[in-house]
Amino acid sequence: MMGTIEALINLMMADQVAIPLLDPILNILYGIPLLGYLLAFILWKPIFAGLVCPGFATLGVILMLFPWIERKLVARMQWRVGPREILPQFGGIIQLLADSLRFLFQEVIVHRDAKQPYFVQFPVLSFIPALLPLLFIPAGVIVAVKSAYGVQIILALVCLFPFFILGLGWASNSRFAYIGTVREAFMYFAYEIPFIIAVLAMIVLYGTSDPVAIAGMSVPGIILNPLAALTFFIAAAMATSRLPFEIAEADQELAAGPHVEYSGILFGLIYVMCYEKMYILSGLMTILFLGGGSGPEIAILGDLSGVVYFMIKTVIVMTLLAALRGVYPRYRLDQGLKIGWSSMLIMGTLALVISLAEVLIL
Amino acid sequence: MKKIVAPDYGLGETVKSHAAAIKVAIKEAILPQTVTSHYPRERRRMPDCFRGYLRFDPEMCISCFQCSFICPANAIGMREAPDNRYYPTIDYGKCIFCYFCLDSCPGGALKPTKVHDVAYNDVDEMLTPTCDMIDMPDLIREDERYVEYKIDEHDLSLERVKGLDDLAVELPELEKISMVSVCVAPENCLSCRVCEEVCESGAITSTLDGDEIRMAIDTTTCNGCGLCVKECSMQVLRLVRREI
Repeated sequence: MMGTIEALINLMMADQVAIPLLDPILNILYGIPLLGYLLAFILWKPIFAGLVCPGFATLGVILMLFPWIERKLVARMQWRVGPREILPQFGGIIQLLADSLRFLFQEVIVHRDAKQPYFVQFPVLSFIPALLPLLFIPAGVIVAVKSAYGVQIILALVCLFPFFILGLGWASNSRFAYIGTVREAFMYFAYEIPFIIAVLAMIVLYGTSDPVAIAGMSVPGIILNPLAALTFFIAAAMATSRLPFEIAEADQELAAGPHVEYSGILFGLIYVMCYEKMYILSGLMTILFLGGGSGPEIAILGDLSGVVYFMIKTVIVMTLLAALRGVYPRYRLDQGLKIGWSSMLIMGTLALVISLAEVLIL
Repeated sequence: MKKIVAPDYGLGETVKSHAAAIKVAIKEAILPQTVTSHYPRERRRMPDCFRGYLRFDPEMCISCFQCSFICPANAIGMREAPDNRYYPTIDYGKCIFCYFCLDSCPGGALKPTKVHDVAYNDVDEMLTPTCDMIDMPDLIREDERYVEYKIDEHDLSLERVKGLDDLAVELPELEKISMVSVCVAPENCLSCRVCEEVCESGAITSTLDGDEIRMAIDTTTCNGCGLCVKECSMQVLRLVRREI
């Protein structure tokens, strides 16, 4: 028994996150019996990636802060103030915390016409495609699951998202939800193909689909193939229902589209779903086009320096996606479909051709 | 069917427009020109002609009922006060803030204010009696500064000034036109004594002369309210300028 634990501890200690800054404190803490084991477990690289960064804890912080950043930024662009009344000294930064507390204590109303089991299940199940891709996204050298097909797995899981949105819109059994769901389905087909082609172009260019290897490339992808980056960015805006393509949700005409019937904590789960998707797609964009966690090494942070660069780049990409809300009005469904099926498809194909040309010539 | 097609600007023009839009967004994100005023911590300074809650000065009132007659929303009712005179009451549930009453008041008894945020607990409370109209309403002032909007050629900007804005508006003293009631055709008078009944100032008197009742108007005590003119069934009374 003791031998097994010893072996496990040795396995974990062999692959710890190295942080020179905290080494003196960590060395003391490792000596304390139970806490030491727990710490060794958390700082074990695969677990650290899943639990802390880019996994669960970072996702939580992003979900708590990012909607506030988005609202504040767009408010500044539109001469407004944005959330302010809760903790006004800090510009209403805990707005989302207050909102989530409210959602938590609000009654969840399941109306009579809804298909009850699916209506309740789909918002909860949608966390599967939200959390699983985080295992394959590397932040610097820290990654939970190393896989030669990491990019494809992330892509496959991200493409599962619309399935859950369609599911919950269908289970709502309401006319607004129905129209929103149909629009979502249309948009899904319009952006999915250029999106996959753009990622394919980068895989062709790099010759590998291992996210860690792609992030470690010397020249970032946005310089090698800017057209693929643009296609990916627009497709990401479509996939996360950002404003020029907020066609499925369309506040002004469909109330809230597929999730119009939801209330309480179920609405809270759906509300953060699009931000989860945004985080994953921004992470993927950082890996594919912006060089992942690479940057000038900060010696004192050790392995965390890659994490810092990865997070900075990801948040910048997310902010750019969010800033679109302040710039563009919404396209009609037919305009959105036209952009998806014509301009974006052409751009994606051209990006693939550029990649092939670069591979063949260089 | 005629199909409406969106104009095609070409690639160069489209890219240029997108760049211009993004440039404005970045400029505003860095240096925002926020125009929101943080009411109630600050208050927008309204112009003096702002039509808000009304104040009333019973000293100036001649009980002429003009405000009540002219009110298009029928919000003003006249109530008898302990001194046997009639004063206006305003039902803010009906009032449309047209200020016709203030414009029609010959004595200048109704006064404007810039108060626009009075709250009531129920509908009955909105009928404000005369005694509550004399002072300014009890406001809880949380504001420390007031805000003024400035409209330039293209942009709207906002200027914050420290200090409390005075919500009561003092109008300049108006030149009063003194009116008096006269009987233009005494031969048509029925001597019904309605004018004597309605006269607040006691200027109209009646005396019994033999079988006839003779009516007389004392021009010195008449305050020119015009109530008798309105009530006279034979329409023989007129309001004319007092000759000095």
